[in-house]
Amino acid sequence: MSEAVVHVRGLEKIYKVHERETGVGATVRSFFKRTFKEVPAVGGIDLDIARSEVVGFLGPNGAGKTTTLKVLSGLLYPTGGEASVLGYTPWKREYAFLRRIALLMGNRTQLVWDIPAADSFLVLKQIYAISDHDFQTRLDELVDLLELAPLIHKPVRQLSLGERMKVEFAAGLLHGPEVVFLDEPTLGLDVSMQARIRSFVAELNRRTGATILLTSHYMDDIVALCKRVVVIHHGKILYDGALADLAERMAPYKVVGATLRDGASRADLERYGDVVSNDGAGRVKLRVPRAEAPARTARLVADLGDALADLSLEDPPIEDVIDRVFSGGQLEPAVG
Amino acid sequence: MPLVRTYRALLVAGFQQMAAYRIQSLLWMLFAIIRPVIFLAAWVAIATAQGGAVSGYTVGDFAAYYVCLAWVSQLTMAWNSQEFEWEVNQGRLSAKLLRPLHPIHYSVVDNIVYKLTTLPVLGAILIVIAIAFNAHFRTEPWHLLVFIPAVVLAAGLLFVFGYIIASLAFWATRMRTANTLWQRAAFVFAGSIAPVVLMPAWLQTLTYALPFWYMVGAPTEILQGSVTPERAAFILVGQAVWLTVCYAVFRVVWRRGIRAYSAVGA
Repeated sequence: MSEAVVHVRGLEKIYKVHERETGVGATVRSFFKRTFKEVPAVGGIDLDIARSEVVGFLGPNGAGKTTTLKVLSGLLYPTGGEASVLGYTPWKREYAFLRRIALLMGNRTQLVWDIPAADSFLVLKQIYAISDHDFQTRLDELVDLLELAPLIHKPVRQLSLGERMKVEFAAGLLHGPEVVFLDEPTLGLDVSMQARIRSFVAELNRRTGATILLTSHYMDDIVALCKRVVVIHHGKILYDGALADLAERMAPYKVVGATLRDGASRADLERYGDVVSNDGAGRVKLRVPRAEAPARTARLVADLGDALADLSLEDPPIEDVIDRVFSGGQLEPAVG
Repeated sequence: MPLVRTYRALLVAGFQQMAAYRIQSLLWMLFAIIRPVIFLAAWVAIATAQGGAVSGYTVGDFAAYYVCLAWVSQLTMAWNSQEFEWEVNQGRLSAKLLRPLHPIHYSVVDNIVYKLTTLPVLGAILIVIAIAFNAHFRTEPWHLLVFIPAVVLAAGLLFVFGYIIASLAFWATRMRTANTLWQRAAFVFAGSIAPVVLMPAWLQTLTYALPFWYMVGAPTEILQGSVTPERAAFILVGQAVWLTVCYAVFRVVWRRGIRAYSAVGA
């Protein structure tokens, strides 16, 4: 791995949460004595991200993704462990550090609501001490990439959610950050706007070489943008490696897709694997143990002969893999 | 001077924003002068009933005092503690914390913008009130000169004190009680109910020991011209001491508060 711009060792964040039982008695008691529970949001993670990498951070709600992003961008103090981003300790929030990073959160506004975004951009230009030349070049580029020309002179409150998101992106990237933390960048957007944001993020990485750490609930975001994924669950890293290898490491099965000419019965097919779908018109999907997949497929071909019109052997869809991992179906932590 | 350029840009954006809410700003300003006018009317009634003066304060003196009080209140007011609670609880502070500029600067600019946009109208209204109540100002040129640092120190003191209260929002979700408490204390001790010299001796001593009078009542007396050079010096020293203390406390509270910030919702 080349120079790590994000370096994390044993990072821990524990929230102290006020806890109270229901009922009048518990309410009265809580006036005099408060009980707190320690909730570990991030439980000692290690992570290295190289310059210009785009890494997807996957996990269900409450897994610790956003907390990690907030610690790495300097918003939160960790409870333990160490982290450096571009050589800085994030939570010291040195201005030299803040000028080189960005944390963009899907539904949070950085812009002044009542004035056009173009005016907010001028304020950001001064706050980040962006030179006239860099400001104009980046603004032109962002206006072009995000098709902002008709939007930046309208008051922000008059923009739709999707339009506002694009303008927010521009605001967050005007200072040319080298490391960008994206938290749910496509949350709440329609399908075409999601696609546009995705292609923009890919283009941003290609043009500027920015290092990007991205969280998303939408697998499409991850598949489109990230070669590498980090799977986090209950504050622990379950997998860190290539997206392409995730299914192999996390799902112990493959999916056989068969199209049958004579509509073979379900009972027949149970001999080769678990039937996960059967559309009644001959198209069937079977789940087979990964290690036995070649042998079972060969047996299926030999047994069915001409009755088989088409056959495929694939990894399960990435959503299914993730879903199984998070629902506790198959936990095989494999940090690679 | 990057900070000067940043302030200029923030001020421009602030005035643009204020233009969207100009009627609301004027209404706030009018609301703020209702209280001094009520107290002025009450003291005029009392003074008139007692033959034209209360402890040497004539109707004209009361009019001058409350006109100056309304002006000073507007110049020194700060509402950051209420706004800050909302920003912390909504996670709005996060965006500001991620920029290379201390969040306090945004409040300073908002404060300046509001005052500059409302002062001309307030000035016109107060001139009418001064004429209507036949206000008697004893102000000499040196009073006006001393008033400048006094009002700047008062505004700084109130602002920083407000930020200390505001910073408690890092630990407590609801800050309204603390806000109300200090605003009530300010109401009693700042000189809004009466000029401090009319208060009982023990209350005067307490008032001089607390920071609130230095925020409003003290610069009001200077502007009204009712202070001797010695008392003016006492006021400036008191303000400087309180501002230094409050700033030191603010630094500590802020540094610890930031560590406790949980960036909820953002």
